[in-house]
Amino acid sequence: MSFSILARCARTGQLGLGVASYSIAVGIYCDASVRPGIGVTFTQGNALPSNNRLALNALAQGWGSEQALRQLIENDPSFEYRQIGIVDREGGAAVHSGRSLLGYAGHRAGAGWVVIGEAIAGENVLNAMAEAFEAVPPEDLEARLLAALEAGRDAGGLAGKGGRLPERSAALVVWGVRDYSDMDLRVDLHERAVDELRRVYADFKPTAAFYEERARNPRAAVSAMTFAETLRNEQRRAVT
Amino acid sequence: MTFSIIARCPRTGRFGMGSATFSIACGRRNESVRPNVGISKSQAFYLRQTDVLALNMLQQGYTPEYIMRTLEAADPDFEFRQFGIIDRAANVVAYTGKSTKPWSGQIVGPYYATYGNVLAGPQTLQGIESGFLRHPDGQLELRLLEALEGGRDAGGQAADGKRWPERSAWIRVVDRLDHPEVDVRVDLHDKAVDELRRVLEEFKRYQDYYLERVRDPGTGIPEEDFVAALK
Repeated sequence: MSFSILARCARTGQLGLGVASYSIAVGIYCDASVRPGIGVTFTQGNALPSNNRLALNALAQGWGSEQALRQLIENDPSFEYRQIGIVDREGGAAVHSGRSLLGYAGHRAGAGWVVIGEAIAGENVLNAMAEAFEAVPPEDLEARLLAALEAGRDAGGLAGKGGRLPERSAALVVWGVRDYSDMDLRVDLHERAVDELRRVYADFKPTAAFYEERARNPRAAVSAMTFAETLRNEQRRAVT
Repeated sequence: MTFSIIARCPRTGRFGMGSATFSIACGRRNESVRPNVGISKSQAFYLRQTDVLALNMLQQGYTPEYIMRTLEAADPDFEFRQFGIIDRAANVVAYTGKSTKPWSGQIVGPYYATYGNVLAGPQTLQGIESGFLRHPDGQLELRLLEALEGGRDAGGQAADGKRWPERSAWIRVVDRLDHPEVDVRVDLHDKAVDELRRVLEEFKRYQDYYLERVRDPGTGIPEEDFVAALK
């Protein structure tokens, strides 16, 4: 009961993923799903959190995304219940949708990206996500990932036996060259988690650089309160 | 402006931390907790690389005390930083630079440390500590939540006589596995600590179901049925 997109930005080399799910706190399964200069991976359907490190370790040893995926499948007796995506640092994409997943399950893959979805309304969700991601290649990776999640939501999103299911949690994660994420935002429990993720993103995006600069040059820093007020005023001016 | 608590559960050996702040998405800093190694959580004018560096050193065998001295020697802006480090033996240090914004300070206990800046006063940290110690036999994640609530109820964050809301909050607990056992977040909310209780309580209801689904997906019921049975 999730739909996700994993991708490598061809412009910056950043790696990231966007996830939306009926399960709560789905972002917990994004732990270690990205490793800079190595790849990005995610297992859903029935999550297997140990798969993240295993997939990235296989890539780091030198296996390509297809071979890494094969190893994950052979390592897991319940592989038919899993849905797995891998994108390596060269954009090589590999994807697996097990036969025992509930509801409609499927995937799309392109140069540097993978879309996976299970218990979704249908293939139009996958197509809409792929189109939205490919529509804006010059944008920042996180913006493209978020646009793909919104397109998946708008194309019908998640579906259970009784019809549409809400996205109750969502996550947006992007890493660049550093030992920590460039962006890592989550909504853990919400009736419209993708909408809420957009709200968090809109507020976080302009502050990210502020916090970095503040730490690098603390003697010249303005306070967080002053910055927050300045930002609010700017946003108010932009609205009027 | 942030208050945090880092701890090693004396019963189970699990590591956990809780944090609440005016800034957005404090829980994005998952590099601060490393299973089987320890916790390094920096704040105030923090460089994220600091936590990675400190945990790498812990993993190499240096003590928290030595790491703190090394960080000081390497950082011309050390007086602006605030952090705590705890290792597997529950050796714990905390540091609050004199140029962090007032009120700032720390309490170091036998297996935990709590520290914050731009707080209402020492009462915020006292509230955190007494919340944490209220149920010493409780699960670490619940103790951390009570700690954050204690800090909130004791006045939380304040500057120039004005209270500042907790807009994001985070609890992360790791055991022996590489991935976290509990990791719940509120990234942007008017009452982030209140909301974190709602999320954590809900998460606890799902925790066993999700673990079983990971382990043996063929035997479980669909999640929508599980949710219906909860109500």
